[in-house]
Amino acid sequence: MSLTILQEISAQLQRGNARAVRELVQQAIDAGVPVECILNDGLLGGMSVVGERFKRTEIFVPEVLVAARAMNQGAALLKPLLASSDVKSCGKVCIGTVRGDLHDIGKNLVKMMMEGKGLEVVDLGTDVEPETYVRAAVEQDCRIICCSALLTTTMSVMAEVVAKVRQAGIHDRVKVMIGGAPVTETFCAQIGADRYTPDATTAADAAVEICRTLAETG
Amino acid sequence: MDTPRDNLLRLLHRQGYDTVPLEFALCPHLEEVYQAYEHSDLPYNEYFQMPWKRIADLRPDNDDRTRFAHYHAAAGLDAAGEIDEWGVGHRATPTSMHMTQMFCPLRDADSEEEIQAYPLPTYSAAQNPGLSAEVEALKQRGVSPVGNMQCTIWETAWYIRGMENLMMDIMSEDPMAEILLDRVTEMSLSRAKLYAQADVDILFLGDDIGMQQTIMMSEEMYTTWIKPRLKKIIGAAKAVKPDLLVFYHSCGYIEPFIPHLIEVGVDVLNPIQPECMDVEKIFREYGDRLSFHGTIGTQSVMPFGTPEEVRANVKRNLDLAGDKGGLFVAPTHLLEPEVPWENIRAYVEACQNYTR
Repeated sequence: MSLTILQEISAQLQRGNARAVRELVQQAIDAGVPVECILNDGLLGGMSVVGERFKRTEIFVPEVLVAARAMNQGAALLKPLLASSDVKSCGKVCIGTVRGDLHDIGKNLVKMMMEGKGLEVVDLGTDVEPETYVRAAVEQDCRIICCSALLTTTMSVMAEVVAKVRQAGIHDRVKVMIGGAPVTETFCAQIGADRYTPDATTAADAAVEICRTLAETG
Repeated sequence: MDTPRDNLLRLLHRQGYDTVPLEFALCPHLEEVYQAYEHSDLPYNEYFQMPWKRIADLRPDNDDRTRFAHYHAAAGLDAAGEIDEWGVGHRATPTSMHMTQMFCPLRDADSEEEIQAYPLPTYSAAQNPGLSAEVEALKQRGVSPVGNMQCTIWETAWYIRGMENLMMDIMSEDPMAEILLDRVTEMSLSRAKLYAQADVDILFLGDDIGMQQTIMMSEEMYTTWIKPRLKKIIGAAKAVKPDLLVFYHSCGYIEPFIPHLIEVGVDVLNPIQPECMDVEKIFREYGDRLSFHGTIGTQSVMPFGTPEEVRANVKRNLDLAGDKGGLFVAPTHLLEPEVPWENIRAYVEACQNYTR
C-alpha cells in the first residue's frame, strides 16, 4: 500500500497536480506512512525526476513551476509532523542575486531545485550586498552562499562576496557557489569561488554534495 | 546614390549592400563616455550615421496612470513616475543603475473578472496625429523609420501577471491566461496597425522566449499559446503594409522556435547571442529565409574581449553572411558600463573598413 501511494505522490507531483498531491499526502499520513518516507520517496523523489528531466530539456520552466508548487503544498502538510520527528534537512543554503542586479528568475529556479533536494534555502532576494550574504551565512548557520547574476556589470560583485567570506574567516565551513547567464567556469576560477554550475539541477546536486562533504569533514 | 536607408533595406532583403550599416545602443554611463571620447554634441546615433531610427512611442488614448494606483497600493508607487502605460510598476534602487524593480499589477488576481476588468490602454490614430509626418521626414533624410513594439504579447502579459503566475495559469489551463493573452494581443494588434498605417519600414516586435541554453517553454506550449497570437498581429500589420519588415527579438537560445517565427512572418531575427546559439549554424540553416540583426556578444567579446577580437568577430560574421547581406551586424544588447570604448570603436571601424 505505502509503496504504491508514494509512487502515486511522485507521479502526480511530476505532473504538477497540486490538488492530487495534497490529497495523497494526507491519505499517506492518515495511513500511518512514516513522514520521512512521504517526504523522501514521495515528494523529493518526484522532484528529483523533475530536476533530471529539466536538465535533459525534456521539460521546461513552466513544468518545473507547477511541480514545485505541488511539492510545496504537500510539504506544508508534512511540516508540523516533521518538526516533531528527527528528520533533518541535508543542509542549509542562502541564496540571492548580487548587488545591483534585480533579476531573479534563475535564482528562484535554483531555489526550487535545491528545496526539491531536501535542502533548506534562505532566500535573500535580489540586489544583495556581499556583507548580507556573509551575515546570513553566519547567523543562520548556512553551509553555502549561492550568488546569481544576469549582468556582466554585476557579476564582478561575486568576487567581493568571495573576498568577504575569506575576510570573515569562514571559508573552511561556508562555500561560495555562483551561476547566472554570463557566468562561466573560467570566471569562477578567476575569482576563487568554490563552484560554478550551468543549470539549476546541477546547482542543487552540487550543493547537496558540498553539504555532505562539509558534514563528513566538519 | 543609395541613402543609408536604401542600403539597409537592400541588406535586410538579402539583395546585397554597399556599406556595412552600424547600430548599437548605449547605457546612460556610456553616453557620457561617448561625449568625452568623441567630443560631439550630436546624439550618438546621428554621429555614427545609424541608418534607422525609432519613431516616437505611441500615445495611448488614456494616459492617466492613477487608474493603476490601487494595484500598487501596497508598494506605494507614484503613479506619475513609477507606473508605465500598461500599469506595470517600476522602482529604481540605489544600486540598480538604469534598471528597476518590477511590480506586476495582477500578481494577486484570482478571477477571470479581475483580468477582464484590468484597464489596459487603447491606441488610436486620433491620439497620434503626427506619426505619418514623422515617418516621412525620416525617409526624406535617408533614415529608415522603425516602430518599436518589443514586449509584444508574452512579456507584456507576464509583466502584468508575473511570470511564474502566468506560466502556472497556462499549465493549469486557467481561463485567466487566455483572457490576459487575448487582451494583450488585441492591444498590440492595434498598435502594430497604427505603425503600419504610418508606413514605417520596420516593425520591431519581441518577447523573450529563450533562456541561456534552453527554450523557456516547450515547443507545444509556444505553438499553442503564443505563436497563433503573434501570427495574428503580424498578419494584421502586413495586411496594411505588405512590404513591412518585421524584426523579432528574443534573448537566449531559441533555435527550435525559429521555423515557427519564419512561418508567422518574421523577416529579421535579433539578437542571435553567440553565447547561446551557434551563429554559423543558424546562418546556414535559415539564412536563405531569414535575415539577422546582432551576433556580436555583449556577454563575451564586447565587455571582455580585446579590440582585435571584436574586429575579428565582426569580420567573421559578415563573411558568413556573404555578398547578399542579410546580417545587420551589431552588439546583441544594450552596451553596459563595463564595455570599453575601444571595443565600441573597434566595432565601428570593423564595419567601416570591411572588405570581402
